[in-house]
Amino acid sequence: MAALELSDAHVARLRIWMWLAFCGVLILGLALVPWLSRNISFWFYLMLWMSMASAFNIISGFAGYLPFGYVAFYGIGAYVTAVLVRKLDWPVGLAIPLAGMAGVLLSLIFAKTLKLSGIYFAIVSLALGIICQILISNMPEEITGGSYGINLGGSPEPVHSFYAMLAVLAATLATSTWVARSRLGTALKAIRDDGEAADALGVDVPRVRLYAWMLAALFPSLCGAVEAWYTNVVDSTTAFDTLITAKTVIYATMGGLGTVSGPVVGAAILVGIDDLIWQHFPVANLFLLGLVVVLLIQFMPRGVVGTLLRRKPQLRRYLM
Amino acid sequence: MSTLLILQGFAYGVIVGAVYALLGCSLNVLYGVLRVVNFAHGEFIIAGTFVSYVLFNALHLHPLAALPIAAVSFFAAGWCLYYLLVPRLRTADDPELSSFLMMYGISLMAAATMLGLFGADARNISYTFQPIAVRLGPVFLPTARLVALALSIIIGGALAWFFYRTLPGKALRAAIMNPEAIQIVGVDINRLSALAFGLAAGLAGATGVLVGLVFPAFTPFSGPDYTLIGFIVIVLGGLGHPVGALLGGVLFGLAEQMSTVFMPQALSPIVGFALLIGVIFLKPSGLMGRVQLR
Amino acid sequence: MLVVDGLCKSFGGLVAVDGLDFRVERGTILGMIGINGAGKTTVMNCLNGIYRSDAGRVSFEGVDITHWTPHAVARAGIGRTFQVPRIFRRMTLIENLLVPMLKSGESDRALTERAEHFLARVKLQVLRHNFAEELSGGQQKLLELARVMMFEPKLILLDEPFAGVNPALCKLFIDEIEALLASGTTFVLVSHDLTSIYRLSDHIVVLNQGRKIAEGTVDAIKRDPVVVEAYLGA
Repeated sequence: MAALELSDAHVARLRIWMWLAFCGVLILGLALVPWLSRNISFWFYLMLWMSMASAFNIISGFAGYLPFGYVAFYGIGAYVTAVLVRKLDWPVGLAIPLAGMAGVLLSLIFAKTLKLSGIYFAIVSLALGIICQILISNMPEEITGGSYGINLGGSPEPVHSFYAMLAVLAATLATSTWVARSRLGTALKAIRDDGEAADALGVDVPRVRLYAWMLAALFPSLCGAVEAWYTNVVDSTTAFDTLITAKTVIYATMGGLGTVSGPVVGAAILVGIDDLIWQHFPVANLFLLGLVVVLLIQFMPRGVVGTLLRRKPQLRRYLM
Repeated sequence: MSTLLILQGFAYGVIVGAVYALLGCSLNVLYGVLRVVNFAHGEFIIAGTFVSYVLFNALHLHPLAALPIAAVSFFAAGWCLYYLLVPRLRTADDPELSSFLMMYGISLMAAATMLGLFGADARNISYTFQPIAVRLGPVFLPTARLVALALSIIIGGALAWFFYRTLPGKALRAAIMNPEAIQIVGVDINRLSALAFGLAAGLAGATGVLVGLVFPAFTPFSGPDYTLIGFIVIVLGGLGHPVGALLGGVLFGLAEQMSTVFMPQALSPIVGFALLIGVIFLKPSGLMGRVQLR
Repeated sequence: MLVVDGLCKSFGGLVAVDGLDFRVERGTILGMIGINGAGKTTVMNCLNGIYRSDAGRVSFEGVDITHWTPHAVARAGIGRTFQVPRIFRRMTLIENLLVPMLKSGESDRALTERAEHFLARVKLQVLRHNFAEELSGGQQKLLELARVMMFEPKLILLDEPFAGVNPALCKLFIDEIEALLASGTTFVLVSHDLTSIYRLSDHIVVLNQGRKIAEGTVDAIKRDPVVVEAYLGA
């Protein structure tokens, strides 16, 4: 069938170079957006969702967990940034990395829940996300601004936060690519498919899944931090909205969990559709989003890339 | 801090807990038989409350008369919804998580529909019972809440009778214990599953009417609150364990209501969550359930 | 090589394994037989740490490995296969074989070559880029064997290796076991199928209701009235 036979090693190299080239073009194209487009906001959120979905893929697509309280990391990142900038007068450039660290710290606090699996983990995670929201909105107003939230003050230049988001996206893609190709990724996939068997073959399951969990927590925290800088305001209702988790899950699933390119593709497709819906049917927005989810699960549970790989086995060696 | 307040909190806890128990029970029927965790359950319930609201406002129908109407119509809707949504899921990689996500989509659609029909304002059913409250020993309890408690107990009893004394009920229990085996012994799992889905939806509709009696207000966006409470209740009691859900519901109701006696209102949800986390770490399978850990 | 001493495990009120002792000599095959529910798989799970035994000791090459976690047991050199094949279904065959080697210092390329070598031995090399879920049941069993061979364990626990495997694949399986045996690997072979056990084992332990009811060479077990009674009903 194949016209020319490439050795496995060649194919593997071709595969990674094709993917890196795609990422390079994507990042470069996005870097030009501030000059080419007046609608920075659309592109900013596109990058944010690509990043969120790719990071989510590390814990969900590779390791097989469905953290339905994923927004907790996003929210904590936003709040840490806001508090550091507004209350302690820290420069944003320092606050954002610290927000990332705060997310990782939170993931360590939640690490014990990784012992749970499947739907149990999903429900407990959802509850933890909501606990975070309640705790933050009930903290003293001098710190988190109560239910009104925090205004970061100053007059930020959206282009700056745009490039910060681009950097976060690049870092997420690099990490997710590295995980997929590394032994960590193989271990994670083994845990996803059968944790007990992986354990019996010498994989240190608790340690490996903790690494994935921490990585998956870092990037949403950074996203939340940069978004807080971009919008200049943080409040507990929007920063901890379950819809953020849901969109992340939906975008990643749309593309295909467990593939590196899937979450990027899925986010691109659905953020585009979402934008169209908002422009033309703002009232029906939620309804249509729900409909997309139902249709997706019914007809393409493995997502665009996942389905393609299943139908066309010969592509498996070429697509990341 | 008076004993009176504590007694009052306890009584409210039992009442609210009974409603939560029903909520958890219907979720568990669904999970037990179908392995579907219904993220849209809260919306089902609020839809039931809206049915009662509309019947009362348009036709001046007593909420108690709305209850069977909601239950029966939701049963039929659930039955249809099953055939529309669930059979295809079985082919997914992880049917449980897929169904969880899909039902989230349904919950968005349901909430958006109710928003379109009723707007975002908070509503309440302005029916008042005569007398408005009943004195029980030292505490006064609103009649509406007592009626809701009585109804929950009646529905719970009817459920128990159904599960333990009727053939379809026994088949459902068998399906909860071993979904594979029941197909081998000649039960049509599709019809049984549709029955379970219908039953869960019907129960949710009835629970919604009770919610209208017990809680002061509701909006199209109240659904997720009840979904979350339902999740906590079933995790507390043990996934897929109908009796565990009763226990979990009452426990959660008590914890929530008692905490309002001792803590600021806004923080009281924390107590329920703390209970959840405590149970998860001490006995991860829930109070009565069994679950695989990894 | 492996010494099990007074192993006990119960679930709730049910005693699955009750004071079991046995030892396995280097380079031999220990067969473990017993009717369904005799506790065979439970013993396996206790040996490799999936279950935590309630009492008793397990030592391997003189090291006490009681209560070690499964991955520690694996790294000590004990591999196993499962009664129902537990492959990593959404990973390619090569990736499946890499899993036990993730901690090794060898390069990815060397490991991949080794994986291909072992896949060739169980006649699966053509399918090396397929997902494991696309294999037949018998092929999945062979994949499990290749996977456990990958890290060259000193002791391999085989749980019902021949159940549901067609005769041709079964022969391939037995050939591989004999080849490994010749190179010095030790086995514990669990089965309720007497023919294969009698053929392969050097020494046999018979379990009934979690207890050892007989032990000895193949010939001795074949003639033991206690075993016959346990199998044919009492």
